[in-house]
Amino acid sequence: MNTKLQRRQFIKISSAAGGSLILGMLLPQACKTGTKAEVCDPLQPMPYLKIESTGYITIYFARAEMGQGVNTSLPMILAEELDADWSKVKTDLLPFGVTIDRPDKPSSGGYYTTGGSQSVITDWNEMRRVGATAKAMLVSAAAKRWNIPESKCNTANSVVYNTKTKEGFTYAELVCDAIKLPIPKEVKLKETKDFTLIGNAAPKKNLGSIITGKTKYGIDVKVDGMVYAVVERCPVLNGKVKSFDDSACKNIGGYIKAIQFEGSGMPMHIHAGVAVLATNVWSAMKARKVLKVEWDEAGHGNESTEELFKTFELKSKNTPLIEVYKKGDPGKVKASAGNTLESAFAAPFLAHGTMEPINCIGHVQKGKAEFWCGNQWPEFAPPTLATELGIDEKNIKINLAYIGGGFGRRLFFDYILEAAKIAKQYDKPVKVIWDRVDDIRNDAFRPANYHRMKASWDDAGKILSWQHHYVGCSINLMLEGPGAKVVGDMTGGAMSDFWYDIPNVKTGFTHVDFNLSRGWLRAVEININVFPIESFIDELARKLKKDPVQFRLDLLSTMPKRMTEFPFQDPQRIAGVLKLVAEKIGYAQPLKPNHFIGVATHHFSFCPTYVAHAIEIEMFAPKKFRIVKVVAAVDCGIVVNPDGLQNQLQGGLAFALTQALKGEITVKNGRVEQDSFFNYELLRYPEMPPVEVHVVNSTEPCGGIGEVGMPTVAPALCNALAAAGHRPYRLPLKKDGYEWV
Amino acid sequence: MPTYNLNINNKPYKGVPADPDTPLLWVLRDILDLTGTKFGCGVGSCGACTVLFNGKAVRSCQLQIQEVGYAKITTIEGLSEDGSHPVQKAWEKVGVPQCGYCQPGQMMTVAGLLNSNKQPTEEQINSAMSGNLCRCGTYHRIKAAILEAIAK
Ligand code: FES
Ligand code: FES
Repeated sequence: MNTKLQRRQFIKISSAAGGSLILGMLLPQACKTGTKAEVCDPLQPMPYLKIESTGYITIYFARAEMGQGVNTSLPMILAEELDADWSKVKTDLLPFGVTIDRPDKPSSGGYYTTGGSQSVITDWNEMRRVGATAKAMLVSAAAKRWNIPESKCNTANSVVYNTKTKEGFTYAELVCDAIKLPIPKEVKLKETKDFTLIGNAAPKKNLGSIITGKTKYGIDVKVDGMVYAVVERCPVLNGKVKSFDDSACKNIGGYIKAIQFEGSGMPMHIHAGVAVLATNVWSAMKARKVLKVEWDEAGHGNESTEELFKTFELKSKNTPLIEVYKKGDPGKVKASAGNTLESAFAAPFLAHGTMEPINCIGHVQKGKAEFWCGNQWPEFAPPTLATELGIDEKNIKINLAYIGGGFGRRLFFDYILEAAKIAKQYDKPVKVIWDRVDDIRNDAFRPANYHRMKASWDDAGKILSWQHHYVGCSINLMLEGPGAKVVGDMTGGAMSDFWYDIPNVKTGFTHVDFNLSRGWLRAVEININVFPIESFIDELARKLKKDPVQFRLDLLSTMPKRMTEFPFQDPQRIAGVLKLVAEKIGYAQPLKPNHFIGVATHHFSFCPTYVAHAIEIEMFAPKKFRIVKVVAAVDCGIVVNPDGLQNQLQGGLAFALTQALKGEITVKNGRVEQDSFFNYELLRYPEMPPVEVHVVNSTEPCGGIGEVGMPTVAPALCNALAAAGHRPYRLPLKKDGYEWV
Repeated sequence: MPTYNLNINNKPYKGVPADPDTPLLWVLRDILDLTGTKFGCGVGSCGACTVLFNGKAVRSCQLQIQEVGYAKITTIEGLSEDGSHPVQKAWEKVGVPQCGYCQPGQMMTVAGLLNSNKQPTEEQINSAMSGNLCRCGTYHRIKAAILEAIAK
């Protein structure tokens, strides 16, 4: 067990006169994920639960809520053990902060990262233990009042009952007594079979607030005295402002001033720019239109994605790869002539396109700074902000808000850093709003990628070798610079833990540089790699005239678990979800004329979650089709909130179809060509196909859900098109002239 | 700076100061603090800013304040404060939202559609909804909620 976890211990944060019981954890202060976790000090309280003598129960979650539902699923876990009356539980975003000394102002400690579909997995134990601990204290308070042993009490719906007399005290009535009790060292957690809340669909806790327009996202936050800014940014990364002229801006009512700032490199690549400040957004936008800026593009401005893909193709043929995974030696396999297959798959840069455009309020004062925004990884930002502002990290406060779409975009703090660069030159809070053009053009893009796949087999059709050479643009190299420890950062999922039983396997990576900021997008490398892998395995099956489902099942049936290397991976569960989608879509039944089914399955490498998709299409012309139906199957162990799971899988399908059908960012003359939803198109309402999501009933440990609905969609669709006789090798399909109705 | 008298959510707003070309969206959000109406693109491509203009769904980012006059404007805050409007109720029953950011716009579009047509065909629904994007991809549930609202 790592030190960070060992050092976590329960505390009562408050037993003050207020009469509320706040239970939390002691966490290392400023604890950052990754390297420094073991050494950080001192310990700070991080509350999870507040029970007030007024009867209110508040459960805090220290993860960014961006639509994935942690504001409901995480508190459900705690409420389950607490036996709280869920209908009356309030849930709240725990403020993020690294300086917590006021018990009345609970804060998360330096801990918030939300990514990799990890929230439920990571917080599962703690949420349960906090709930069980509080319950034990309440029970013990009640037992004392009745003067009976605790074993003669039980709990339900925020009440402790005397099992004999059936009398009860509400938790509210017991709080003031419970506060005075010591925290029990050991508590008993429920058996899975006794769960009453976990596993039952629960609506999002902020549903009512969303549908009445009351939820406050970052973009809705107002701070006293704030002014607004929009920013004209250098069209290329790593350029500079040569000069600017704001004389025309001065005719615009409400215009305040223009502020020039420099771009930055590692870890956050931001474009140099000129911010236009005004008393309101509209004035700022109008003034920006008449601002004149001359840029020094510093030798950039020639790059194009067309050239980049040519380089990818060349390098995939002639460059040695950085090895990611090797078993046997594909180089030594001698297959007879005709027993080999080689294909290449490609996918473009993508923008996140969160519906809430990027925004951040910054207020920089002498020796301290405060920010307001939605962010998925706030502990990533303070060191760089501190350097930028020349102040102590301790004096930087980031106030988090609900997020109108994250998908990995808000793991980056480029926009907080930009707000800092602007706000440090102005004495009032500045709210920087990106419009949609800014948002699309200055994203941290999902890297473009290219994959050369090779396989061989013997005369009996047994697959002998598999090779996967991924050529793409590393994210880590952008974050960490040339000294990056891992360059092939986009190769982890599905390439390193490749799950088909083939005796000789080699997978690897080649990096190609490109002057464009890159970042993580929902399902990251797993999404990137499952497309070529599940396409190529399908292509092999068809080449060998085998049934694509059975072909996969055969290769999975002999695959051993590799507990030491990939503890989450169970090949039989990868097979299980595949069988389930095949059954549910009626794979074995005869299809209507011109109807075709494609499948894909996978293990979401970061956690024990397995998802497969089967997609039925109808063809009208060689490249014209309709998606008749989509069936998904999920095996993620215990499901906390089935409603959240369904929503994530249904939504994940839409997100993934956008990528499969039309999502593409291109660069020409060093500039991103897309600038709106008219040319960076997202799936629209009429295009959403019917979808069914089936869930494997399981008591295995929880997996994650937020990203897992993505990776198998594009390959399942492409495999359906291949079944119809036209295999696509690159995304989006629109690029190759496919049409859908 | 000129001022405008506005009729929003059945409430008169007197002497609202704004440049004539200010989109209604920014008047609502910045000046009147009605932030339920969302900014998604500013160019009419996403529908996040949808409000009702005399009962009809319009994109408030495309409507200048000088064009509004004393038309009856309804925003999500005025659809009903307590979520009791049939569209909100349908949204609640189905549990449509994920991040929720696009949902005020989605609901206003549906409310506008149902104002003019109680029994829209699938084609009419598709055409009304195709201008409202949801990046979280809640279309499956939006569809279910629309059917629920029509049935009520
Ligand atoms: S903000 Fe008005 S349509 Fe996008
Ligand atoms: S619910 Fe997030 S954009 Fe629609």
